[in-house]
Amino acid sequence: MKKEILEIRNLSKSYGRLKALDSLSLTVEKGSVFGILGPNGSGKTTTLGILLDIIKADNGEYFWFGQKPDSALRKRIGALLEQPLFYPYMTAVDNLKIVADIRGVHYGEIDEVLEMVHLSERKLYKYSTFSLGMKQRLAIAAAMLGNPDVLILDEPTNGLDPKGIADIRNLIIEVAQGGVTIVLASHLLDEVEKVCSHVLVLEKGKKRYAGPVDEVLEGALSLEVAAKDMMLLETMLLQMPQVKTIKKQNGFFVLGVHEGLTPELLNKKLSEQGIYLTHLAGRNKSLEKYFLELLSD
Amino acid sequence: MNRLIKIDFRKYFHNRTFWVLSALYVVLVVLVFTGAEAFINKVVTNVGKNSPVAIPGFSLYSFPFVWHNLAFLAGFFKIFLALIVIIFITNEFGYKTIRQNVMSGMSRVEFLFSKVLFVLFISLFVTLILFLTAFLLGLTHTEHITTSLVFSKMYFVPAYFLEVFTFLLTALMFAFVLQKQGLTIGLFALYYYVVEPIIAFRLPDGAARFLPVRITAHLIDVPNSSLMKLFGVNFREYISWLDVGVCLGYSVLFVLITYLFLKNRDL
Repeated sequence: MKKEILEIRNLSKSYGRLKALDSLSLTVEKGSVFGILGPNGSGKTTTLGILLDIIKADNGEYFWFGQKPDSALRKRIGALLEQPLFYPYMTAVDNLKIVADIRGVHYGEIDEVLEMVHLSERKLYKYSTFSLGMKQRLAIAAAMLGNPDVLILDEPTNGLDPKGIADIRNLIIEVAQGGVTIVLASHLLDEVEKVCSHVLVLEKGKKRYAGPVDEVLEGALSLEVAAKDMMLLETMLLQMPQVKTIKKQNGFFVLGVHEGLTPELLNKKLSEQGIYLTHLAGRNKSLEKYFLELLSD
Repeated sequence: MNRLIKIDFRKYFHNRTFWVLSALYVVLVVLVFTGAEAFINKVVTNVGKNSPVAIPGFSLYSFPFVWHNLAFLAGFFKIFLALIVIIFITNEFGYKTIRQNVMSGMSRVEFLFSKVLFVLFISLFVTLILFLTAFLLGLTHTEHITTSLVFSKMYFVPAYFLEVFTFLLTALMFAFVLQKQGLTIGLFALYYYVVEPIIAFRLPDGAARFLPVRITAHLIDVPNSSLMKLFGVNFREYISWLDVGVCLGYSVLFVLITYLFLKNRDL
């Protein structure tokens, strides 16, 4: 089986003079949870729209499951794009029956997916009576119909309450553990950091970074240290080439360090010099901080 | 194809507007069909009072003329059907459900095809209504019924079908291209009542006949009544194959234009 679920080559799309997407290339591997990050208007929805044949690219091509995209392949992809889109005069179940018929899925699955997003009680209510959060959950249910191989979620927690957000996040993790590849676009970094294995950072339609989340954060490691003799500690730290920055904060030093300087190594080195640490903690910079840094250069 | 019909039908089945408009159409048309003869005879009798020549009362409903008479009459109500088609196609754009449909795995061609099937279904349905009412009225209003009498001019029924089908495909094209409900209804009405008549006026007589709305309207010519004959006016009592060909040509052309338009468009 091919490992690449999705391959994108040089996709571009302009709206008039605005370049919404500027020759984006990307591969998404099977089983990954792929986050797409970017500020509003950075091209996230445009990218996903193209991948779903809603938006036509000006240039470039993409392959799902190693094949030229067509409607049959889209049946293996569940998607929620930007906002839920259903017939307001129909009930939740009838709306899902249309989706089920399009995808060639048995109606029996409808109750299952409604249960998954906690909408069973409202399934015979008209869509027009739903709150934004319920509409969003119905759209997620629609995306889950027919056990898709890939799930594309564009801002899936829009309009949800804190419990709803937590539910969806757990659902994503659960689904991902079942081997489903997930592409998740969001401007909520916290969301991406908690669930994603890989991340693409977009800015004004251009790729700023793409790769595993761990790698993003690896370069962003910092350590907290303290010792009885802080003066001596500082002198020692200044001599270490792997230490990039030293900042004094609340009685200990916060160190920006190069890759390779693990807490273990630092501890060993310092003890060789006769300095015994009273405090040592590894601290990951949050994705949010990293992201802001990346976009501010 | 069954799958597309099933999907599309579900969209209308749960919609009250659809049922109200359809019921309204059926009631309206059946009332007009059954009331037309009495109405015309009354007008004719009133006129006849002052006429030096005796004007014969006439029956709209006797076989085989009933086919032509009612098919011609029914033609006036097709704008109502165009409204239904426009409303339901533009709804898909208004609710953006066309996006959800395509995202879920329907191809653009399938989506268009499902709407062409919808138009086909409406055309067949109204043709069936015409056939049934005309048949029943003919049976009850003809003195000596023979099989050949019943069937002899029945070609007006399929002609009516083609008239409606071509006309509704014009509406379908307007809806797909314009997408906004109010705009589509407005521009279609403008084209129907104003723009095409103006173009027709500018064109030489022979050519104007082939404009899209005109060709459907003239597919079935005004029925000859004894009244008309009195004035020496004689209308066409047959369907011209050229007209049929042009109508079919337009049907294919409009679907093709819609397809080309939809193919490379952002939804």
